[in-house]
Amino acid sequence: MADLEAVRKAVEFGKKNDAIAATNKALEEGAAPGDLVEKALIPAMAAVGEKFQKGEAFVPEMLVAAKAMKFCMEIIRPKLVGTGYKPVGKVVIGTVRGDLHDIGKNLVKMMMEGAGFEVVDLGVNVEPAQFVEAVKQHSPQVVAMSALLTTTMLAMPDTVIALKEAGIRDRVKVIIGGAPITESFSKEIGADGYRSDAFAAATLAKELVGSK
Amino acid sequence: MNEGMVRITLLPLGDSFTMPAGSSLADHLFTRGIEFPCGGRGRCRGCRVRVIAGELAETPSDIHLLTPVERKDGWRMSCQARPVSDVSIELRQWSALILADDTPFKFEPQSGFGVAVDIGTTTMAAQLLDLATSRILGTETALNPQGPFGADVMSRIAAASSRDSAAKMMESVRREIAGMVARLCHHLPAGGKVSRGVLVGNTAMHHLFLGFSVATLASYPFKADHLEGVDMRGSEIGWDGVASDAQVQFLPNLGGFVGSDILAVIIATRLHEATVPAGGADLGTNGELVISSGGTLLVASTAAGPAFEGARISQGMRAAPGAIDRMSVENGIINAHVVGGIAPHGICGSGLVDAIACGLDLGIIEPSGRLPSGEMRLRGEVRLIQQDIREVQLAKGAIAAGISILVREKGLKEEDLGVFHLAGAFGNHLDIGNSRRIGLLPIPADKVNPAGNAALLGAKMSLFLPDGGKGLCGDIISRVSHISLETSVDFQDLYAEKMTFPEKGEI
Repeated sequence: MADLEAVRKAVEFGKKNDAIAATNKALEEGAAPGDLVEKALIPAMAAVGEKFQKGEAFVPEMLVAAKAMKFCMEIIRPKLVGTGYKPVGKVVIGTVRGDLHDIGKNLVKMMMEGAGFEVVDLGVNVEPAQFVEAVKQHSPQVVAMSALLTTTMLAMPDTVIALKEAGIRDRVKVIIGGAPITESFSKEIGADGYRSDAFAAATLAKELVGSK
Repeated sequence: MNEGMVRITLLPLGDSFTMPAGSSLADHLFTRGIEFPCGGRGRCRGCRVRVIAGELAETPSDIHLLTPVERKDGWRMSCQARPVSDVSIELRQWSALILADDTPFKFEPQSGFGVAVDIGTTTMAAQLLDLATSRILGTETALNPQGPFGADVMSRIAAASSRDSAAKMMESVRREIAGMVARLCHHLPAGGKVSRGVLVGNTAMHHLFLGFSVATLASYPFKADHLEGVDMRGSEIGWDGVASDAQVQFLPNLGGFVGSDILAVIIATRLHEATVPAGGADLGTNGELVISSGGTLLVASTAAGPAFEGARISQGMRAAPGAIDRMSVENGIINAHVVGGIAPHGICGSGLVDAIACGLDLGIIEPSGRLPSGEMRLRGEVRLIQQDIREVQLAKGAIAAGISILVREKGLKEEDLGVFHLAGAFGNHLDIGNSRRIGLLPIPADKVNPAGNAALLGAKMSLFLPDGGKGLCGDIISRVSHISLETSVDFQDLYAEKMTFPEKGEI
């Protein structure tokens, strides 16, 4: 019986080398790649996300866990082909026009991946037109936008308007986050939701995908 | 809002609370560290506050102790006030603790008098000098009256997107500085006139004072509308007591958010002449960094945020009476020093650094920043909670990562720096050893030089420079490069790494 628990623990505590070794070992022992994702990686990232919410873990612990997960995922991904494994959904994510801050956006991306989503990362300083283009090209269920500055959060309504004008606003759920963002701002600009931390954002994305 | 309650907002930090309408304001201010030197009997002027928005009715004490001009400007005695509607007030005692400067310096004696002004995002300081002797004839400090438009630079810039607000911000800061200069001129000898003036501030303060658009500072690539300095005649600026042909200059900016305040710090600390690698930082609400080596200088700004000014900390406050400002551990017991020797009401930036260093040494706080017990009791009712430590990790991580990136870009290591100048009030009250203990300044303690209000000192030194300092400023600017920290490839990893605290044996 393959040891999925060893993978889960190594990822949760950000032990990259242990995680890689445990993943390879589990695969050799016949673990199903889909099980590794669903029973080891996803629970590990959920545990880190919950610890972050409770204040027991912070950005550095989350980043090392996410890195360990990424390495494991690179080993597992080729083996998922043809197994019938399907991601929970697809997310297009980016930091909005005029803003270069990517740590918050990257944490959300990692938690999304850790929750089983396929994530298309558009990077930072993403123009509304680039979001529109990415939605047309990748057909995601969710568009996630990040902004850290009071001045750049105003690019969020511009992006929502651009999606409307392109006639594709109804095809996606738009979620937003970042230090200056509030629930009322989210409502005001016509987004589908806001969360204050990365794990909550991933949970929200899951709910929104489920509700579609 | 409940029936019969009013909301009181304290500026500049925007702290607010509610209280029953018509009850005594003094009780509520006292618990927030405001002192009442005469015991709140309306006999001194020590507790006066200025109404920024809303109304406080004039009381007999106000009429007795304050001038008509002061009352018209909104000054009231807080000990007598009974607000009946929502009001925003600025606290005089906070502005009284603003750092000025009295460092002696070399100068070429000249005739006449000069005024130097440092416009900070939160606080402002101005001094009047006799240009023949460099003697300081007067000092004025004030809170930046733009505070109601936002505590930090970015929220001011956001507010300035409304033309009306931009105009109000320009008018308010010009009026406040004109008032400071007018009060300074009371110290002029009979017949004396101010013939020179120098102003310094970060790029946003420069633009908002001069009426330039800050729109391009709102988003990437954060390029200033005007990097150049601006020359004005006394007649244009219209300050009382200043000769109409006086030369008044706002010194030039260095790039991005790094303004003439850091140019002045460079002038004051002679970083441009450094023969060994050297550095400096002004740790205000907007943290600015500079590293000098081999005749060139590298500057950057870092969004450390206002945590060390007491904002975003659960019991944070400025270094006012009632603030824990120093802490140490002796035989496993925490000793906390309180400003003014009264019961503690909160903790200021320097106290915060000490408290975390103590917590790490005692094992109450883990190097990861985790606080397993959920709270760390300091003294009286004052304590740190988990979220406070996380805020400090974000702020100190940004500063430490910024220093690391600049040093690395210069091909150096932190330990190669011969000296590191620390400008600004927080930098001056900081325990250097503890700042290293928590990984805020990754620099050996004996290399760190508290430089006081070096921006103000540099502005004063510029008063004496030939050609209004254009030669020196031009020379420094030709050797300065500005970099944007966020675009550095491994900023994220470095920032995350610097968020954790060093292990006990590690430093």
